[in-house]
Amino acid sequence: MEDGVLLEVESVSKSFGALAALARVSLTVRAGEVFSVIGPNGAGKSTLFNVVAGLYAPTAGRVVLQGEEITGLGPEVINHRGLAKTFQITNIFPGISVYDNVRVAAQSRVPLSGRLPSLWRRPDVDGPVMELLAAFGLTGRRHELAQHLSHGEQRYLEICLALATDPTLLLLDEPTAGMTPGETKGATALIRQIARSRGLTVLLIEHDMSVVMGISDRIAVLHFGEKIAEGPPEAIRSDPQVIDAYLGGAED
Amino acid sequence: MSKAVSWRVALVFGALAALPLTPWMSKYYMLLAFDALLFGAVAMSLDLLMGYTGLVSFGHAAFFGLGAYSTAVLLERGVLSLWLCLGLAVVVVGAYALTVSYFATTRRGIYFALLTLIFAEVVYTFFRYTQTFGGSDGIQGLPAPQLLPGVAIDTPVRIYYLVVAYLLLAYLACRVLVWSHFGRVLVAIRENEDRARFLGYNVQRYKMGVCLISAILTGLAGALYPGRAAYATPDLLHWSISGEFIIMVMIGGLGTLVGPIIGGAFFILLQEKVSSYVEWYSIIVGLVLVLIVLFAPRGLLSFRRAPRGRPGGEAA
Repeated sequence: MEDGVLLEVESVSKSFGALAALARVSLTVRAGEVFSVIGPNGAGKSTLFNVVAGLYAPTAGRVVLQGEEITGLGPEVINHRGLAKTFQITNIFPGISVYDNVRVAAQSRVPLSGRLPSLWRRPDVDGPVMELLAAFGLTGRRHELAQHLSHGEQRYLEICLALATDPTLLLLDEPTAGMTPGETKGATALIRQIARSRGLTVLLIEHDMSVVMGISDRIAVLHFGEKIAEGPPEAIRSDPQVIDAYLGGAED
Repeated sequence: MSKAVSWRVALVFGALAALPLTPWMSKYYMLLAFDALLFGAVAMSLDLLMGYTGLVSFGHAAFFGLGAYSTAVLLERGVLSLWLCLGLAVVVVGAYALTVSYFATTRRGIYFALLTLIFAEVVYTFFRYTQTFGGSDGIQGLPAPQLLPGVAIDTPVRIYYLVVAYLLLAYLACRVLVWSHFGRVLVAIRENEDRARFLGYNVQRYKMGVCLISAILTGLAGALYPGRAAYATPDLLHWSISGEFIIMVMIGGLGTLVGPIIGGAFFILLQEKVSSYVEWYSIIVGLVLVLIVLFAPRGLLSFRRAPRGRPGGEAA
């Protein structure tokens, strides 16, 4: 492993039929940083995340996580390599309690998981579950069915699910989508703080520029499936190509 | 299991054990009670798939029938040990269930149901047209199996106690299973399969696991059947039987274990009682089932359960 490199996306392409959703995109994410991917709608951001997390195999290119190639592996395997993901559209277990949601995520990492005695034993993961619920202000809601939470709370719950699998790299796909400006501010601060305290590396998709500029160490810009810029927030803000893509293309 | 639940279980099974002592339990009623409890047990094992994992199997008759044929083949050849019959059923049904579930779990929803149905139809056709196993007549006139050498399970009361014991063990096993680590993952798969994958669970493995467990429990119930009926026929493998199993689970209440037991028993008793009065009984049975689905869509159990008791929720 190169010093400090956690995730390497090497010249990844992904086509759906004739549509090239990603064209030779490369990224290098270093351990401990918050790396954001921005771009107009349809730029290929979510496709990139889905390739990295294992939902799609890339048409070409490689993905390397912590020095090991993960290209084409399934999401359940990649999750065990230390990558957890949240989705653009809230993806939780709607019909069971908030507590049970986080419990089933947390028990994925106990030694018992996947072994025969898991048929008749149940691990005690109360500690980590309660800790996560407290961090996201969900303790008082833990007996509610997840589907009864507000939109913002469901977004938080989904981050809890991802964190419960104890990842090294956290992929957040528009975590503040659908939040009010006030909620967005709070969520951004919380994500930053939790990433710091857990020593997490965060790969973030966001289209709210104020969120991205405030939270990111580095930013990559996608446009029509290609990376057109990469660098620290100040450089991205003044990059003429980026300005052109955002002002000339579909503003979102 | 909580204390209150343990007491309730002890009470119910105590009552079931005392049933043969009551004066009006004729031979006919003993066997009817056997059927009610046996099919209740089958519905309960199907509930592991339908209620907890969200998989609808349209081929459970094959597991039941293969269990019955396992016993029949051994009894026919003079191997009378009940334990060998059950053992063979586990091996045969287990091997078949692994094959079916390996293919069926690669598909979701209606395709899963169709694949289980297609496999079951193959098994039905095989037994229906293979003369080694008696073709359409099946294997008839079987001797009673023996619990121990010389101890034959040859009276209605004995066979009844056998099914009560089986139901108790199967119920306890299912209760522990849905409470366990494994059971929590099943519910997660029912709620959101993709999310479960992204949390690191090999969903197909869990689905195959629960198919295997459900199939073996159903197969064991099937293996007890020739002890009561003295035959195994292809009718036991017919797809309409699979349909009846699904109805039993539905009218009892998905994801409750107890509900499907009641649903199975209710279905058997209703069918038997109505058919002894009129020949067009299936119309009446169908009507009753439609009424249940309309007015108690969450099953018979919902009449006495608070609406908060979500399938597979905290109840454990």
